[in-house]
Amino acid sequence: MEAPGEEEKVMLSFFRDGFYKDFIVLIVLTIILGAVFSSGIAWALDSYFGDALDDMIGEYGEYDVILHIREESKDAAMRELERIAEQHFKGARLSQTLTIAGQANFFFGLPEECRTRDILENIASYFGGVPGLNGYTLIIEPSILIRGVHSGVRSELQEQIEAIPGVEFAFRDGSNMIVLLTDEEHSREVSARVEEILAQYQIVELRFPMGFEVDTQQVGDEAINIIKKMAPGRRYSNVTSAEYGEELDAFLKTLVEMRDFLMSYASKVRITVDPNVHLAVGEQIAVQGTSGQELEPTASITDEHVLIEVTAVYGDMAEGMITRGSIAQSIDKLVQKGYGVQSDGVITDFVGEVELENERYRLAYAISESLRLLEELDELSVQANAAVDNADAVLNTFQEALMQLEVLQVQMRQLNDGIAKGGTGSTGEQLLVTLLLNGLFQSLAQAAVNAGEGSIDSLENLDIEEMRTSLNGISEQIANVQDIDVQAIIQQIEFVRDTLPNLEDEEIGQSIRLINTYLGGQVIPGERIQILVHDGSVDEKEIEKTLQVELDNPYLHTYSTSVGMVNPDARSEIFRILKEVRAIVAGMLAIIYTGVILVLDHATIFSTLKYIRAARKPVTNRWLRIFDPIKILGGSLGALILFTVYQLSRAQIPMVTPPMIALCGFVIGLLIAIFAERFSPVHTKEIMAGQALGLSNVQIMREIVIPAGRPGIMNLLNRWKQQF
Amino acid sequence: MLYLKDLHKQYGKVVALESISLEVERGETVVIMGPSGCGKSTLIRCINRLTEPDRGEIILNGQSVLALSDSALQNLRRNVGFVFQQFHLIGRLNVLENVMFHLVLGGMERTTAADRALAALKKVGLDNAVSRYPHELSGGQQQRVGIARALVTNPELMLWDEPTASLDPILVGEVLDVMEELVRTTNTTMLIVTHEVSFALRVADRIVLMDHGRIVEEGAPDVVFADPESEIGRKYKRLLMS
Repeated sequence: MEAPGEEEKVMLSFFRDGFYKDFIVLIVLTIILGAVFSSGIAWALDSYFGDALDDMIGEYGEYDVILHIREESKDAAMRELERIAEQHFKGARLSQTLTIAGQANFFFGLPEECRTRDILENIASYFGGVPGLNGYTLIIEPSILIRGVHSGVRSELQEQIEAIPGVEFAFRDGSNMIVLLTDEEHSREVSARVEEILAQYQIVELRFPMGFEVDTQQVGDEAINIIKKMAPGRRYSNVTSAEYGEELDAFLKTLVEMRDFLMSYASKVRITVDPNVHLAVGEQIAVQGTSGQELEPTASITDEHVLIEVTAVYGDMAEGMITRGSIAQSIDKLVQKGYGVQSDGVITDFVGEVELENERYRLAYAISESLRLLEELDELSVQANAAVDNADAVLNTFQEALMQLEVLQVQMRQLNDGIAKGGTGSTGEQLLVTLLLNGLFQSLAQAAVNAGEGSIDSLENLDIEEMRTSLNGISEQIANVQDIDVQAIIQQIEFVRDTLPNLEDEEIGQSIRLINTYLGGQVIPGERIQILVHDGSVDEKEIEKTLQVELDNPYLHTYSTSVGMVNPDARSEIFRILKEVRAIVAGMLAIIYTGVILVLDHATIFSTLKYIRAARKPVTNRWLRIFDPIKILGGSLGALILFTVYQLSRAQIPMVTPPMIALCGFVIGLLIAIFAERFSPVHTKEIMAGQALGLSNVQIMREIVIPAGRPGIMNLLNRWKQQF
Repeated sequence: MLYLKDLHKQYGKVVALESISLEVERGETVVIMGPSGCGKSTLIRCINRLTEPDRGEIILNGQSVLALSDSALQNLRRNVGFVFQQFHLIGRLNVLENVMFHLVLGGMERTTAADRALAALKKVGLDNAVSRYPHELSGGQQQRVGIARALVTNPELMLWDEPTASLDPILVGEVLDVMEELVRTTNTTMLIVTHEVSFALRVADRIVLMDHGRIVEEGAPDVVFADPESEIGRKYKRLLMS
């Protein structure tokens, strides 16, 4: 059994004859250089990004607002901003910076006298008319940003915050509150004080599932009374925010309407369920669709098949919705055989006849036919108007002819009477006139018979005026039709046709599913009541059960939120991130540096130590093999260098604690000690020659090992002491 | 002058030296011979503690070598010349520096050390190659530099660890000539490990034959090779006669 001190002796003798001084200097210098290296590079990166940031967003406090403008409007926006600056903010600073993703950004710095609460709270009203404005971000400095300030406590908070020394004023920016400071140096203490103030409040939120109609005032008051009994000594008020609820209601109504529209717009699917099949809502059915492929049980469905989800079952009838694929563009009903489909896409048995009606195509067809009708109607009215005019003209002609006939009849009678009175003896001329007149009258009489009247008297009986009135009525109606702006109707129907969603059945089906998911309460919370707790807090989970019982609603849940959250402003946030990045980079560099320096310098020492030890008596002690002094030295050295460099360079890797860093250094050092000969092999023959020539360890190191070793700090330091 | 008593060395389960006892007189040239792996090199390295023996005793000039402190051991090594089989020159130093650097590190003036190094190099016939580097030299030349480096301190004991084993046969002669000359011209005690039988016959005051870590026979060369008692001795005899 070997003396346990032999190993230590090897190491001690190695360092004892003078090399320990070199070694100590090496370690100190390694640590100092490591800290300078890690923090220097990290600082350079930090500085570079900081400068780049300053270039991008200006110096601290230089600008107060970033205006986000659509790229195509930036020229117009610049002119308008210059006008606004001239009109409202004389002396304002304006600068255009980066354009990112089609959005140009303009910086606007308010003159000192314009940095008032009124202006800042109403900043949107000044810039609302800027062409292409997509929004703005306040970057006023020095400031503290409080996010998500509840409207129920905003005024109270503002009053308290403005009383804090170092606060110039606080103002609202949407749901946030910005606390403007008199000086940046107050930032830390004001932040702390604001957090203290915020901590005095708590919002307890009572959430009800979707579908519950709650009178938020009444139930809120009831809840407050219950909570008061459970947690007395605090003040409570119902601060349920209406804004959010109303917006949500409107959104939900829109969703419901949209879903109903989509359901009516989707193809109708009716399933006549086979008597041997029990169909349930949610099951999948496949039909052939437009593909020529017959469905075969046990086969898998293809992309060309149509997949239907059963949405309702009424005895032997069911309804469904197409969730994949589309059916033919036809107004006719399509009947196909439906087969069940497993979740893995395998077709199962026949489930029934499926009737499919393409409602979208029918609607489009109806609109198209309506447009044709309207175009015909326009033409028809014109032609009808011309027909009425013609009829009226015919009537006038007829009336005039009738009057002339009556005059002719009278004149004939007079002529006949005159002839009769002229002499007893008929002459041949008289006889001829009489015969002609009789013939004429007979012809006229015959004409009247042909007209259905039987005589001129009957022609006179025709109600021409009545006919004219009727024609006038028709004419007026035609005029009324012509007054209708058929073209406008056509345009609007065309507009409706064009604006109808161009959706396939599967898109409609998926959208309906998604809307149902939302409406089912999986995404959107239901009704809620918010109770503000002053001067303390309550355990919301403790009161939840009591509220469930007392308010008779087992689905009620309670949550606790703060009335606001202190956030560093955007710039500080960026700098904080940069600082974090710097610390992470420093940490990574410290680790890399430790590894490299251990390989370049210390691995040589470990290799030499191992060689020297090998010439001694071999280690037989099991514990010494486990707790090998060279490995322990390597680990300790790694831990020391990494830990110290890490701390000195102010490195900080998230989730990594200083003991973990020391452990990491130990592991690196240990590994390098184990594999030292591979990392840094030494010339053992030269070392042996040095030993044989009576050189001390320090001389061997300085004159043989280090000069032939890897270039590093040790090599550099050694040059001062090296004689050959 | 040198007294080894019951020296043992073991590498794991392999016994390198087993109960070696040997006495060498001042000025005596002892040649150690034996088959490869018989422990010759281990024995010679144990003498200046390049290899630590497991047990036993080494007395040099009445001083127990194994009991020496680090600094005393270093002093002892400066007075014991050691010639390696594979020369072990410092690659980054030239011939002169290789021979003088340990003198300077031992505290000698640079110029004095250089003079002594030149003298040593002259003895081995390399005084015209002082500024050359080891990789520029032949094996025989490198070994002669190694010999000069060992000689330069005028050691009272020279340990030769198979100095010609790494050389090709043509170069062996030049090294053996130098060695033979040194034996003849100096009164240095020499312990030589070699396979060169004829050389041993010529220079040795005593031959020590080793096998399996043990001394199996020793005596004057004409006795050992003429009438060997051991199997190893007989083999060497056959070699001489062939």
